[in-house]
Parts: sequence; structure tokens; C-alpha cells
Amino acid sequence: MTSPVSPEKFIVPIGPQHPALKEPGHFEFTVDGEIVTNASARLGFVHRGMEKGTESRTWVQGLYLMERVCGICSHVHAMAFALGVEKLAGVQAPPRAQAIRVLIGELERIHSHLLWLGVAAHEGGFDTLFMFSWRDRETVMELLETISGNRVNYSANVLGGVKIDIDDKQKDALLKGMDFLEERTRHYLKVVTEDETFLGRTRNVGKMTYEEADTLGAIGPTGRASGIQRDVRVNSPYAGYPDFPVKLVTATAGDLEARFVVRIEELFESYRLVREIVEKLPPGDLAARVPRRIPEGETISRVEAPRGELFYFMKSNGSDMPERIKVRTPSLCNWASVLVTAVGHKLADMPMILAGIDPCFSCNDRIVTVTDHASSNQMSWESLRQYGIEYYK
Amino acid sequence: MNITFPIYVALLFFPGGLFLMASGLFTEYIDRKLVARFQNRVGPRWFQPLADFVKLLAKEEIIPTGVNKALFVLLPIIALTAALTAALYVPLFGFKPVYSFSGDLVVTLYLLSMMTLCIGLAGANTEDRFSLVGATRALTQLFSYEAPFLLALLGPAIVLGTWNIGEINAGATSGTWFIVLQPIGFIVALIGLMGKLELPPFDAPEAETEIVAGALTEYSGRGFALFKLGRDVELVIGLTLIASFYLGGFTNPLDFLWKTLLLLFVTAALQSLFARLRIDQTVGLWWRSGMILVLLQLVVIILGTYLAPLVRPLLGG
Repeated sequence: MTSPVSPEKFIVPIGPQHPALKEPGHFEFTVDGEIVTNASARLGFVHRGMEKGTESRTWVQGLYLMERVCGICSHVHAMAFALGVEKLAGVQAPPRAQAIRVLIGELERIHSHLLWLGVAAHEGGFDTLFMFSWRDRETVMELLETISGNRVNYSANVLGGVKIDIDDKQKDALLKGMDFLEERTRHYLKVVTEDETFLGRTRNVGKMTYEEADTLGAIGPTGRASGIQRDVRVNSPYAGYPDFPVKLVTATAGDLEARFVVRIEELFESYRLVREIVEKLPPGDLAARVPRRIPEGETISRVEAPRGELFYFMKSNGSDMPERIKVRTPSLCNWASVLVTAVGHKLADMPMILAGIDPCFSCNDRIVTVTDHASSNQMSWESLRQYGIEYYK
Repeated sequence: MNITFPIYVALLFFPGGLFLMASGLFTEYIDRKLVARFQNRVGPRWFQPLADFVKLLAKEEIIPTGVNKALFVLLPIIALTAALTAALYVPLFGFKPVYSFSGDLVVTLYLLSMMTLCIGLAGANTEDRFSLVGATRALTQLFSYEAPFLLALLGPAIVLGTWNIGEINAGATSGTWFIVLQPIGFIVALIGLMGKLELPPFDAPEAETEIVAGALTEYSGRGFALFKLGRDVELVIGLTLIASFYLGGFTNPLDFLWKTLLLLFVTAALQSLFARLRIDQTVGLWWRSGMILVLLQLVVIILGTYLAPLVRPLLGG
């Protein structure tokens, strides 16, 4: 992803430590005055080896590990993993469990989109919107805590279903919370589409046409803001989505404003869905039994995370541990769109363009590339340690 | 109030010197608290600006490699000194200015610009890329708001026929408030002050999400503390100037207090209302609308002062 830049250019580095970034990533913007002429990204600062980690854990332990891939969209990771394991094992989770999975998935989308709204506003120097949207986000965080006991890693999934149930009191709280959030979100939609100073920072900024978005493989709300009709919940419904269908939200402008509008419109869709599930929650068991050893085979599992399509490849060798788990998170697919749209914009627009794809760094740091093709010497553990000591001396 | 303080008292303690610095820190507190309350936050406690200041003074001052050391150390001092010197010519706390001569308005405005100039130089002095971008932006902003701000403050001066701040203050006390007579000038002056102090939404020169802390990125410890204090003092002086020119001047400390606090309330509200302007948007705003509006008003004022003697007999005045 790195493109070569000649050394005499004026390069503004952003990251790995920078106030605009809450997670480490490194971006280099070559600027001519205030205009960005080239952009490159370097990721991989928080590679944690989680895929490899699953290979020495049982399927059940793997579920808890994968839930921790991302701090914001923890539930979709666990859901994708559980759905994949269930597919391998040939088990179908009961309808009530599937509905609760969707319910929590949508609550998580609400919290993620509200979080993003605040962060993106902060990157544009609109701290008031940041504070207000995060204040309102507390509503959904508290709802998640009421339901699952946790604010971040809800741990709602088990292999074969869910472990939490929704009672009448929680249903009331959910409906009340959705009413409040819907009213607030209407206000935010008004702010992002009508506030003059904010429109000055978002309208026609970071514009990506349908063709560009298609070529660069943009997914999720970023792609949908450019008119790409792609949403796993709609294209290939999983879990409870066949029973509770969602409407595809797209826009055509492809600029930052469109990304704001698409995400906010998705919030309304999520509120509607949460209400519908609460009212028509199917009765029945919460979980089906899944064997400890998963039959040999391989499968893919796709779910729609708040940032776009989350993809899991899983391979079982018939034991109680996975042979291989491959995760591709949505942020990874959208980086190219940032680097391409950045060129020609002003340096001041960079934080908002970066934030515009709702990047999540830690979950996409998965690969370590060795660029030094020429030498292929192997290092022993001791010499590697020595090399490290020498390198940082 | 026409109390004349002994010169050392006026310079070191009251109304300049220590008392001015204290009120600068206090004004910063009120500003931060108000913005916080507008944003639905709790905001800092009353001693937070002082605590920050003391903490910064106690910290090590790191002089980065590649800078002109003398300049690096001197710039914050010059900036603070200029701000404190400017205080001598304004009717602080409703008292008569310590010094005054005809035309001190221009000197005061120049002294107030020293701060931005020092910040620009401080940024250009270091090798840091964020500082360089910040310095460019700070100086660009200087060229955009300075002329309209100056012209906006000249409005009352031209009407009253004096460029002496003390006399303008006295003149503003009698007669209709200039905010009613010259609303455009008031708005331009207030927004100009926000641009001068790099308050949001004009904080592009120190936009943290883009260029960390702008020109002051490399400053730590004492230098940073002095720059911060200088800016606080400048906030007090700026508010004093605008309040005395446009809000009917003041003759006693109570008058001063409610008028400056009212202005501070308005600026805090403006700070929390808007998204940050890009530097090109800032320049565009000032030269496309601010400058033209204030020039238009100036023309009206000048025509008015010339035509008034001719028109008045016709109206039977």
C-alpha cells in the first residue's frame, strides 16, 4: 500500500502517535503548501497474532478470543465465528437465539455509528457534536449493559445460540431508549445536512464516484455512500435477518456528507429493527447443542459489521481446535479509498477523510509482510533477540 | 474612575502586572467552563488554569535541536511582554489607562499583534513539520483578520474624532452605545478577536487533529506556559477594548465586569456552535465578507461625519 515518495518533498507524518488517531497507524501526506499530492499508509503496529492464537485453543475458547478482535464491533466477530462453527457442525441455532443475535448486532451498530459520528465531528473540529453524540451514545451502552452485563464485550454468543434472554422489563427499556435515540438522531441528521460550517467541511470533500468505489472495493457505509448496493444483511441474510429484513440505505453523492447521511439513515433502520424484534421476539430455546469436536471441513461466514462486510474463513480438521481461521475486517478494504481520495484535498481535510471510512486499526492489523526479498537468511531465536537489542540501541 | 495608581503599583500589581495575569487565568477558566457547559460537559475547576500554569513552569523546558536557542527562549517572553504592555493603554477594570497619548489605539493594536507574530516566528524557528505548517497558518490568519479587526475598532474612533483609547472610552460612556450605531463593526471586532486568539472555529493554526499543536508543538515547560498566559492576558485586553468601544465604555469595575463577561459568554457560545474552518475558508470569510462589510460601514461613517453638519440645520436640529 506504500507508494514511493521522493525525499525532497515536504511530508507531513500522521502517526503512529498523533492526536487525531486513537489507534496507531502511520500515514504520510506529501503536501504542496496545503494541498496533498500523495498519500501512503503503513499499518501493522498492533498486530496481535489472534488468528494464530485460535489454532491452539478449542472452538469454545476461540469464540471468546475472536470477540476481542475489535473493541467496538465485538458482537459481530463472535456472531460470525459462531455462525461459521454452526455451519461446520451442521447445527441450526433456535429462532429466538438468531433474533437476539440480530438485536444485539443492531444495538452494537447504533453504538458504533453514534461513536463514529462523534469522532468524525471531532476530527472536523466540531467538538459540540462530538460531546452530544457521545452523551446520547451512553443510552445504548447502558441498554447493552442492562441486557448483557457488559458495555463492550457483551459475550452474548455461545456456539449454537446465545446465553442471554430478553425479559419484559428490558423490552420496555429498549423501546424507551430507541424513542429517545430516534429523536436525537433526527436532530443530528438536521445538523449534518444543514449546518453551514459543517457542510463546508463535508460537502464535496473526499468525493468517490461509483466507479472508483467499485474499483477500489469500498464496502460498508463508505461504499454505500457512493451508491454501491452491497449489504450482507440484504444480499445474503444470516442469523435472524431472513425473518427481520432490513432496508438497504444508499446515497449517490459519495462525499463525506453522504457518508454521514448513510450512517445516520442506517441508525433509523436499526431503531426500527430493534423495535420490531422486541415486539415479535420468537419464543423457544436459547441454544442448540454443538459437539465439542467439529467435523472436518471448511466454510466461510460473512456478516455485516458496522463498518462493512466482515469475512471469516474457517477450516476444521475434525478435532476440538480449528485448523485455520482467517479474518478479514471491513476497515482493511477501505484503506485504498482513503489514499486515493486524499490526493488533491487540503491537509485540513485529511483527518475527516481518514475518519470518513470509520477506520478500526487494531482489527485490521493481521499480516506481517517481509519486504526484504533479496536476503532469505533464517534467524535463530537468540540471534533475533540480539538483532532486536542492536536495532534499538 | 479616575484613580491614578503609583507607577510601580500599576505596572507590577494593579491593574496591570499580577492582577492582570490572575484575571487572565480567571477569564480562561470562565471561557473553558462556559464552553464545557455548552457542550454538556462538567468543565474544569476554578483553579485549573493556574494549576496548569504552575505545572508547566515546574516542568523541564526542552530546547529541540536545530533551533535558534536565543529566539526560542526569547519569543514567549516577548509575546507576554507585548500583551502586558498593551494593558497600559486600555481602561482595565474601569480605571483610567495608566498611560495614554493621542494615537495609542494603533500602538495597542500593534502590541496585540505581536503575540501572533511571535507564535509564527516560534513555529518557523523549529524544524518540526507540524510547527512549520502551524506557523504558516498562523501568519496567514494574521493577514486575514488583522485589517478588518483594525477597521472595526476604528469605527468608534472616527466618530468620536480621537484615536486615544481613554478618550474613546469616555466618549462611549455618553451617548448611544456603538453596538447600536455600528452593529457590523461590533460583530467584526468580536469575531476578529476570536481569530486573533485562535479560538474555535478559527483554530486552524493549532488544529490538534491535523497538526498536533501547530506552531507551539515543540514548546514545553516555561515557554509554553508564557505563551498560554500571554494569550489569556490578550483575551482580557481584547474583551476590554471591544466592551469599552461598543458596549458604552465603563467607569467602574462593576460596569467592566458585567460587560466583559457578557462578551465572554457570547464568544463561548460562538466557540461551541461551529465546526473548525479550514484556513482557506477563514481567509475567504474575512476578505470576502468581513472586510467588505467593515469597509462599507467605514464609508457610511465617514460620509455621515461629513454630511451631519450639513444635514443638521435642515432638520432644524
